[in-house]
Amino acid sequence: MDIILGIKVEDGTIIATSKAATRGISVLKDSDDKTRALNARNLIAYTGESGDTVQFAEFIQANIQLYSMRENDIELSPKATASFVRNQLATSLRSRKPYQVNVLIAGYDTKTDTASLNWIDYLGTQVELPYGAHGYAAFYANSLLDKHYRKNMKIEEGLGLLKLCLKELETRMPIDFKGVYVKVVDKDGIRSIEGY
Amino acid sequence: MSGYDSALSIFSPDGHVFQVEYASEAVKRGTCAVGVKGKECVVLGCEKRTTLKLQDPRITPSKICKIDNHALLVFAGLNADARILVDKARVEAQSHRLTLEDAVSIEYLTKYVAGVQQKYTQSGGVRPFGIATIIAGFDSNDTVPKLYQTEPSGVYNAWKAHAIGKSSKTVREFLEKHYEEDLDDDKSVKLTIKSLLEVVQTGAKNIEVSVLKAGNIIKQLDVDEIKKYVDEIEAEKEAEAEKKKKSKD
Amino acid sequence: MSDPSSINGGSALAMVGKECIAIACDLRLGNQSLGLSNNFEKLFQFGDKTFLGLTGLATDVLTLSETFRFKNNLYELREERSIEPSTLANLVSSTLYEKRFGPYFVGPIVAGLNSKTNEPFICGFDSIGCIDFAKDFIVSGTASDQLYGMCESLYEPGLEPEDLFETISQALLNAVDRDALSGWGAVVYLVTKDKVTKRVLRTRQD
Repeated sequence: MDIILGIKVEDGTIIATSKAATRGISVLKDSDDKTRALNARNLIAYTGESGDTVQFAEFIQANIQLYSMRENDIELSPKATASFVRNQLATSLRSRKPYQVNVLIAGYDTKTDTASLNWIDYLGTQVELPYGAHGYAAFYANSLLDKHYRKNMKIEEGLGLLKLCLKELETRMPIDFKGVYVKVVDKDGIRSIEGY
Repeated sequence: MSGYDSALSIFSPDGHVFQVEYASEAVKRGTCAVGVKGKECVVLGCEKRTTLKLQDPRITPSKICKIDNHALLVFAGLNADARILVDKARVEAQSHRLTLEDAVSIEYLTKYVAGVQQKYTQSGGVRPFGIATIIAGFDSNDTVPKLYQTEPSGVYNAWKAHAIGKSSKTVREFLEKHYEEDLDDDKSVKLTIKSLLEVVQTGAKNIEVSVLKAGNIIKQLDVDEIKKYVDEIEAEKEAEAEKKKKSKD
Repeated sequence: MSDPSSINGGSALAMVGKECIAIACDLRLGNQSLGLSNNFEKLFQFGDKTFLGLTGLATDVLTLSETFRFKNNLYELREERSIEPSTLANLVSSTLYEKRFGPYFVGPIVAGLNSKTNEPFICGFDSIGCIDFAKDFIVSGTASDQLYGMCESLYEPGLEPEDLFETISQALLNAVDRDALSGWGAVVYLVTKDKVTKRVLRTRQD
């Protein structure tokens, strides 16, 4: 019942991930960061089968880094990164033991100066969305965002909208998810937003 | 040569593996590369072939290659062979991060590269890599500069300063004469360029230099910066010659 | 409910008119009951006058659209001409049958005009590549039952392009409104011998 949530705004993308790491009925940790930086302007957030998740995210991270090393420090675009991740998951789906990992990829393309949010599930279903979430959180967050989301919001407005979603999730979700880590991906790179 | 050099990597009766020795020959024909260890830095330099009139210098690959955020490799020998070896090193560097959560140490990387080179002297259907490499960098959370060299045979060594490739003997002898311990960054770069100038007649535009410092800092010097050092060195040489001439008089 | 071909939802439809064809699809992509995107097109163009529609499991829709793009590019380079609808149909069939014992969960449809004769061609497939040739219309997707009903009652042979557009649009719209997993927007491509027109339809958003 992890929460991963993404909101795209005009000049960046916001990602929020719950801090709780749970196993069965126990909360094992209240400071779990469910994201990995793939390169300077691509962030992956993940949920799913524990074990698979970190292994998969770091495998992707290594491959994206390797690309930069091979191509003279050129960074893979968000579009290409998302396609690569989708392809890995789609290939894995028809293997003996598929990765059970759902991800959001927040990216900023410096060539076109556009922010993006890619929603990809373990089947390899990929969509570019203005906002999205995985798991149960999606039901609550999406209905709120459907009403309040506007095109061309600033990052501050996006963070305000995120606060709204988190308040709803805190009241509606059956277990305490121990708050969230919030990160923003924009033209300056990836940064954490404190105070959540 | 009685057939021992035609097929694969096979011993000759007197204990030579000719193919490996020929590979070293290819290294000697490759453009010169130099590595110098300073107090807080490692400097890699190499001779750069003049770019042809219609060649695009921005996208023509450099001989100094980044293996990971903290490691550089420079080679002498067959460019095409180097590409393959460099790619193997890059994959290993990422794979090491993925499985051990740590960046490769420079010694590990050197051992790996040398290991690959060795494999290609003993397996069937392959020929050795026609390159020698100088690998430089800093281990994570460490400020000690590291400098290694590998050969086609798979031998590797650690050095304070070293040269490979064409006329490397001249450069090495120069380094042996002029190397001092704990050089600062500026002096290390100067020594690197000075040693290269022993064999590169055409000056700054045919030299490439990268400086590595602890904390993943890699700085590639541009032509103007190199030219400044070259001018400085030449001015000193002239002053030296002037002095000699005067003392003779 | 864990049937792979109805996880994401979506429908497509093709019809033959007088010297023209029309092909249409909805724009929904969902995860079970939850709608994710209202901008997920399921139609892909090959050459000038040939279209492939892919409904079913979204990951396979994406994989196959990429596979066919790749195969079509190679075909065009090798043959130095664009692919005929009937050739594409056989390509789809054999590609799907390669995975006979672990199929892609899709329901493809092909529609187009022959590049020389401008003869209309439409057909559909099951998930392992059996071709269903048809003279009138082909339906596919989670609203296929409803689409059959609409087409059987609205379709008539030999429609002019604009009448065909009206017929296919009404058939699709009224079918997907009776399916919870389809809808959320629609597009129609109308292909005549010298023109392809794309129209995006306004639909209910529930």
